[in-house]
Amino acid sequence: MEGSSSQLFDDDQKSSGASKFLFNLPSRGHLSSTVISSNLGGMRVYICEHNTSPPESQHIKTNQQNILIRSLMLNDKNGDSSSKDVKAAAEGPRKRAAERVMDSKASAKKANTQEGSSSRAEKDYHSLTVERLRALLKERGLSPKGKKDELIARLKCVNGSSQKSE
Amino acid sequence: MSTWNYVVTAHKPTNVTHSCVGNFTSPQELNLIVAKCTRIEIHLLTAQGLQPMLDVPIYGRIATLELFRPHGEAQDFLFIATERYKFCVLQWDSETSELITRAMGDVSDRIGRPTDNGQIGIIDPDCRLIGLHLYDGLFKVIPFDNKGQLKEAFNIRLEELQVLDIKFLYGCSKPTIVVLYQDNKDARHVKTYEVALKEKDFVEGPWAQNNLDNGADLLIPVPPPLCGVLIVGEETIVYCSANAFKAIPIRPSITKAYGRVDADGSRYLLGDHAGLLHLLVITHEKEKVTGLKIELLGETSIASTISYLDNAVVFIGSSYGDSQLIKLNLQPDAKGSYVEVLERFVNLGPIVDFCVVDLERQGQGQVVTCSGAYKDGSLRVVRNGIGINEQASVELQGIKGMWSLRSSTDDPFDTFLVVSFISETRILAMNLEDELEETEIEGFNSQVQTLFCHDAVYNQLVQVTSSSVRLVSSTSRELRNEWHAPSGYSVNVATANATQVLLATGGGHLVYLEIGDGTLTEVKHAQLEYEISCLDINPIGENSNYSHLAAVGMWTDISVRIFSLPELNLITKEQLGGEIIPRSVLLCSFEGTSYLLCALGDGHLLNFQVNMTNGELTDRKKVSLGTQPITLRTFSSKNTTHVFASSDRPTVIYSSNKKLLYSNVNLKEVGHMCPFNSAAFPDSLAIAKEGELTIGTIDDIQKLHIRTIPLGEHARRICHQEQSRTFAICCLKNQSSADESEMHFIRLLDDQTLECISTYPLDTFEYGCSILSCSFSDDTNVYYCVGTAYVLPEENEPTKGRILVFIVEDGKLQLIAEKETKGAVYSLNAFNGKLLAAINQKIQLYKWMLREDGSREIQTECGHHGHILALYVKTRGDFIVVGDLMKSISLLIYKHEEGAIEERARDYNANWMSAVEILDDDTYLGAENNFNLFTVRKNSEGATDEERGRLEVIGEYHLGEFVNRFRHGSLVMRLPDSEVGQIQTVIFGTVNGAIGVIASLPHDQYVFLEKLQSNLRKVIKGVGGLSHEQWRSFNNEKRTAEAKNFLDGDLIESFLDLSRGKMEEVSKGMGVSVEELSKRVEELTRLH
Repeated sequence: MEGSSSQLFDDDQKSSGASKFLFNLPSRGHLSSTVISSNLGGMRVYICEHNTSPPESQHIKTNQQNILIRSLMLNDKNGDSSSKDVKAAAEGPRKRAAERVMDSKASAKKANTQEGSSSRAEKDYHSLTVERLRALLKERGLSPKGKKDELIARLKCVNGSSQKSE
Repeated sequence: MSTWNYVVTAHKPTNVTHSCVGNFTSPQELNLIVAKCTRIEIHLLTAQGLQPMLDVPIYGRIATLELFRPHGEAQDFLFIATERYKFCVLQWDSETSELITRAMGDVSDRIGRPTDNGQIGIIDPDCRLIGLHLYDGLFKVIPFDNKGQLKEAFNIRLEELQVLDIKFLYGCSKPTIVVLYQDNKDARHVKTYEVALKEKDFVEGPWAQNNLDNGADLLIPVPPPLCGVLIVGEETIVYCSANAFKAIPIRPSITKAYGRVDADGSRYLLGDHAGLLHLLVITHEKEKVTGLKIELLGETSIASTISYLDNAVVFIGSSYGDSQLIKLNLQPDAKGSYVEVLERFVNLGPIVDFCVVDLERQGQGQVVTCSGAYKDGSLRVVRNGIGINEQASVELQGIKGMWSLRSSTDDPFDTFLVVSFISETRILAMNLEDELEETEIEGFNSQVQTLFCHDAVYNQLVQVTSSSVRLVSSTSRELRNEWHAPSGYSVNVATANATQVLLATGGGHLVYLEIGDGTLTEVKHAQLEYEISCLDINPIGENSNYSHLAAVGMWTDISVRIFSLPELNLITKEQLGGEIIPRSVLLCSFEGTSYLLCALGDGHLLNFQVNMTNGELTDRKKVSLGTQPITLRTFSSKNTTHVFASSDRPTVIYSSNKKLLYSNVNLKEVGHMCPFNSAAFPDSLAIAKEGELTIGTIDDIQKLHIRTIPLGEHARRICHQEQSRTFAICCLKNQSSADESEMHFIRLLDDQTLECISTYPLDTFEYGCSILSCSFSDDTNVYYCVGTAYVLPEENEPTKGRILVFIVEDGKLQLIAEKETKGAVYSLNAFNGKLLAAINQKIQLYKWMLREDGSREIQTECGHHGHILALYVKTRGDFIVVGDLMKSISLLIYKHEEGAIEERARDYNANWMSAVEILDDDTYLGAENNFNLFTVRKNSEGATDEERGRLEVIGEYHLGEFVNRFRHGSLVMRLPDSEVGQIQTVIFGTVNGAIGVIASLPHDQYVFLEKLQSNLRKVIKGVGGLSHEQWRSFNNEKRTAEAKNFLDGDLIESFLDLSRGKMEEVSKGMGVSVEELSKRVEELTRLH
């Protein structure tokens, strides 16, 4: 063990060591004494004699609603996306329930009038940087201005129409 | 009967699992908060160092610990989640110095598979939510509202099932987590999710990174302005963000902990599995990451947590070795290390095995543990009480008293040691060679016994003999003044301080003198009705040279009285009761409280609190320290005053948290003691014992004393052999070479020096599994027996092992016999002059046979099948108690006539055992891997075979600690006359380094204490609103049941730390006086 570590140190010294990275270590004035001692008094054992119940509203419980039911109810609220969920479920009867939930969630989130097939593309757009999106818009001869969401919306419009034309 | 048990911690857990730094106790103060399994410690950072503030017991095993700052708050809050799915948010109230519960709750789910890789609890850097990953496939969110209050929690389904780490990303407009996970092809990836609080769902995050280092295990979120995350693997470290990806290769290592150095996140400390500390630097330009650099800094304990404190000082918390406070130096030392260890904090964990021995043969047990792991492995000798480390000693018979004197009033060191005998007084002094040699003080009368000596003002010394008081110059050593006792009277007892002398002559005369420059003035004289037995005028008021009170102990009416000085007016008279006269009184002050200690002739000690203004005595308490008369003297160690009680059981009396504590000293019988702080022997004590005068230093004043013997390798089993005065250990050394192989050894250690004197290497792949010192029938020799297993990489369970029998000859291990076995020898026991081994599924009995050629061999006699893995075996008479891997406890019996082992009874619960012990003939104790203790009882009177074949569970308790070993024994000296002396105790050692005691109580005492416990539950609240009852309830995956037939000694003993008002509240509930309760609880504290 020791042999190996000393060897490591040798390597370090050759490469001028870590000194250059150890400058300016943060200091807020604590532990500044030359002799650091941590035995500046005994450790008192805490005995809690006061009432420790939290404020009434801060007794936290978990929402007991089933995740699946919750997501379905959310979808119901989002009116027009619900029909798509049913469709998605019908499309993949052999999919695991969990995956189905994930899918439905994803589409519920992007509650848009998007086609199911292009939700993939939409996801990709979200993962792209603004610069990249702008480059794509330029390629398509569109205005590269605006917020990211606007850029994505613009790209999606183009894509939607191109898909329809196909 | 051992049905009613009392569980108490003798040594608190020391394994540091978490630590964090923040402004917890006040907006200006910086704190280090350390979690040690079931306790948190709050330290304050000061210019001088770390100042310990508070040790907080938590009713749960701490799973996560985080400091955070909600919006609009000036100081940090502490978030704690426990392994049993409780969480709480604590705030420090600096006005009352209390921990306030801001929120708490239960985050368990009815269904869900607990995560394999430990619980994760994280807080969004912008304080929008708390995230918890407790069950596979679920992510629990506790959102904050905009006022910083917590709202109802909800679960989100997490697609990734094998999660390795989750962290929040900095600088995201929506709370975003980054998840490191493993897919079903064992490849590792990271993925980001935004948490949509309104929809209670995840939204695919801004980026993901697939196919990382196969050993990637740790995420480090990088704060703004850089943002992103560092992914630490075994061979690479990767920086990843939405728009950058940088990687560097590293030496193969497993990073165990990290600590951020700079607030902007450009430097990190990484601690790996071998204890090497690296500095990781993110180089950046204009807030763009340009690369990563890694530098080795040096070696520390194997870190489980790293907290950068301030000014280049870092706290390294360790689970496998001592935690450390280190400093990072700019320049490397001679070995090339930038790390300087400033301080070590003792950690006994993990205690893998231990034995209880009485090395000094004083009737007091010491625990020797196999502690630590890997390179930080060590043996620790844990002893109750305080050790005197002998520096010098001379033979001197018949010492009647000792005092140290200085050569001038302002000399910081003592020069003379006055030793009084029955008819002479000798003076020893340090000469120029720092040797103690006999000298003379001309002004002293050395032809008679000295009753008292003291330094006095104006460079003078005082000597009191039976006929006179002599005032001597300490420079010229000549007599300056003398006070003679009235003719016909002789001085019996006397005391003095720098300016006063108080003495008593026969006939009850009390004489008070004052010392001037060359003068001795008789100021006052009083005639008391009885003879005086002892006196004290130790100054405890503001003036350290002058006392306003005098304490006097009396013959005949057995009282102690307080007189005022100089008037000699009687202020208080306290009858001591009984017929034993006081032999020594002492006025002293501990932690700002004044006490009167009064020692009786039968080894009892009374203590009172003294009101310095009116001399009133209150809070009378009585303890037994020994059986012989006690002499009390004060001494200083590390600038604190303590009291040494010389008697047949020498004891140091000290105060902690305003409570008097008594620690025995590792000496047999001490007649007299005086502090002797000379230049050559600073902070030493001179001790007169058994015809010898010893000068020695004293250990730190604390209850348990721990001596560390670093091994540099991992000790797994230990056993002591009285006859050869040796220890034998099974240990393993990790080879540092690339193939990561390990070598196993049997080592023989001297039991005094604990140095290795002989080594027997085991074969490749052979592990030492058990060790035993025993003798066999028809053979007077004592042997070490070692059980081993060949752990081959391709086998799930070992199928081959050995039993090795060694004898110690000339300090060497000599192999006498060996026997191959068909599996791992998990346990060895001496059994009816034979050897009982537990080998995989089987219990096997071997006999020790003499061959025709005179050599010895082990022969199989009989066995018993029917276990999954028989891991732990204990025996008593013909009974064998087996702790199984997963089938709880079973009871076997050996039938001599048939030469067979049969099962008598078993516990049908599916407990995964970690240790067993036999409490008495019918009651057995077990510990299992959900941190519970339980007791089972043999039912011999059962009506049917079925009833008799069942071990009935009679006690259950959640200890909250993983017990590795039980051993009978005691850490304290058992005084035969005390009530607790009769109580049977079992010691246990745990993974977290805690040592505890389980004491079997008589039923009436148990009932009393159970009532006290339930009363205390009403008064002492769980920190964070956690419930004591729930915490101590037996809990495993299948069921939870209220604790029964076990009491929590830690809770009961905290009665003594309660405020007076709360004590009275408890006392009212119990219908027993506070004094009586204190006495009974104090007695229990002497169990450990």
